[in-house]
Order: sequence, then C-alpha cells, then structure tokens
Amino acid sequence: MKIKRRASQATVPSMAMGDIAFNLLIFFVILARVDDDSHIKWVAADAPNVEKAGFASVSVVVDTENRLYLNGQEIGIAQLAGRVESLLGNRPAGKRTVLLKIHNQTQAGRFEPIIEAVSQAGGDLVHILDEKKQ
Amino acid sequence: MKRRRRNKLLIESPASATGDIAFNLIVFFLVCASVTPNDGRKQTIPRAETVPEEKKETENLRVDLTRTTVAINSKTVSLSNFPLLMKARLRDKKSPDDRVVVVKCKPEVPYHRWIDVTVMIEEAGGIITLQLEEEREVMLPE
Repeated sequence: MKIKRRASQATVPSMAMGDIAFNLLIFFVILARVDDDSHIKWVAADAPNVEKAGFASVSVVVDTENRLYLNGQEIGIAQLAGRVESLLGNRPAGKRTVLLKIHNQTQAGRFEPIIEAVSQAGGDLVHILDEKKQ
Repeated sequence: MKRRRRNKLLIESPASATGDIAFNLIVFFLVCASVTPNDGRKQTIPRAETVPEEKKETENLRVDLTRTTVAINSKTVSLSNFPLLMKARLRDKKSPDDRVVVVKCKPEVPYHRWIDVTVMIEEAGGIITLQLEEEREVMLPE
C-alpha cells in the first residue's frame, strides 16, 4: 500500500507582516537619528529673501543654552574646525555645505569663532533662518 | 410572544490591521517631527590669511557693530540709512578684493543683529570678512 506524503505548507503568516514592517521601521528610525539634531532647542533668527538650504551632511548648532553641537553631538570649539574638515573630506566645491543653526540670542563672542572655524575648514556656510515678515 | 432580541454586534478591529495602524501612526509622527526650518542664506566668508595684509585692510570698508550702534569706517550711522550708505560706498568698487567689508563686532552683539547687518552688506554687494578679537590668557606667577 502506498502512503501518501503530506505536503507541508511553509508560508510566512500574513499576520506577522505588520510587525515585521514595524520593527524594520524602528530600526531605520534609530539608525537615522544618530546624526539628527532635531532634539536640540534653538530659535532661528529672521532675514529677508531666504532660500532652500538643500542637502548638507554637516550641521552645526548652537542651542538656547549656548552649547555647540556638530551633527547632533556636543563638541568643543577647539575641535570644530578639524572635525568639520574631516567630515567634508575631499568633496568638491558646491558640495561642502555646512548648515549653521545658531540661536538668535547667541552672542558674537560665541558664534564668530564658530563661523571662523567652519570657514577655515573650507565649508560653504548656510545660515538657517526664518523668512522675515514685512 | 416575546420577540427575541437581535444578537449584539461585536465591533472589533481585525487583529491583522494593528500592524498597519502602528505603521501609519509612526509615519504620521515622523512627518510631524521633521518640520524643522531648512531655509537660509548662503554666506561666503574668505579664509583668514596667516600673514596680515595691513595695507589692504585700511583700504577696505570697515563696519563696527555694537549692541546699539553701527559705524562705517568709525562713523556712526543709523541702521535705516545703513543700506544706502553701503551701496554708495561700494558703487565704484568692481573687483571682489575691493568689495571686502571687514566686520568687527563687540562680543555681546546678538546673532539676530549680526545677521541683519551682514545681510544688508551682502545685498549692497559687499563680501563679508570677520575681524576677531584676539584673546590671550595671561598666566600670572604664583
């Protein structure tokens, strides 16, 4: 007598699809937040005729507490020029944009050395500002 | 004869949809969280020279900025007249070297004021360069 083999079904349960997507999303969100500076509190100054800043891999922030951050990580002014230079590497002109997000009440004694350091590192400065309402 | 009540309707969301709901909620919050300002102004600041060019520095326009005043070549002007005066001074200067404006500001000047003034200089055709005050630490003998 022949015994029929049972064909075993090996399908991914569709119930788990949502959970898989959810976990993947969490993974990518955590990965993306490493260089993120959206948690830093600062208020932009305003100016007329602001333009889209476009993509930049380097952002420098001075928060309301006068702390300095490079790509979301707190840093001292002495290390800034070197770190920006290494992040920019050998990128050609036009792709060396550095976003400068300085709190509007920050004093010159703090922000001028930062601008100088970015300029020394060969970064193209873009001040992130709000559009001034007439 | 008593009429039989209809069965209560069970309104339950299907368990298979919870993942999709979570996914859409996350996308919603991510989109909300990413509304950070990303508009700005480009600014070209020439690299500082290691050897000071004193002769050129005296020829260039110099703007002194304090918390309350602004001065062009040591002459205090009102902020409302500043753009016109800058345009007038830069009108005859064609080469980029001549259009350099040295901005020296007091350490207590807030960023929003600095931006106001430097934007006016750039819109008048000037190229900004910074003059930083040197700070030196003096170690006193014990």
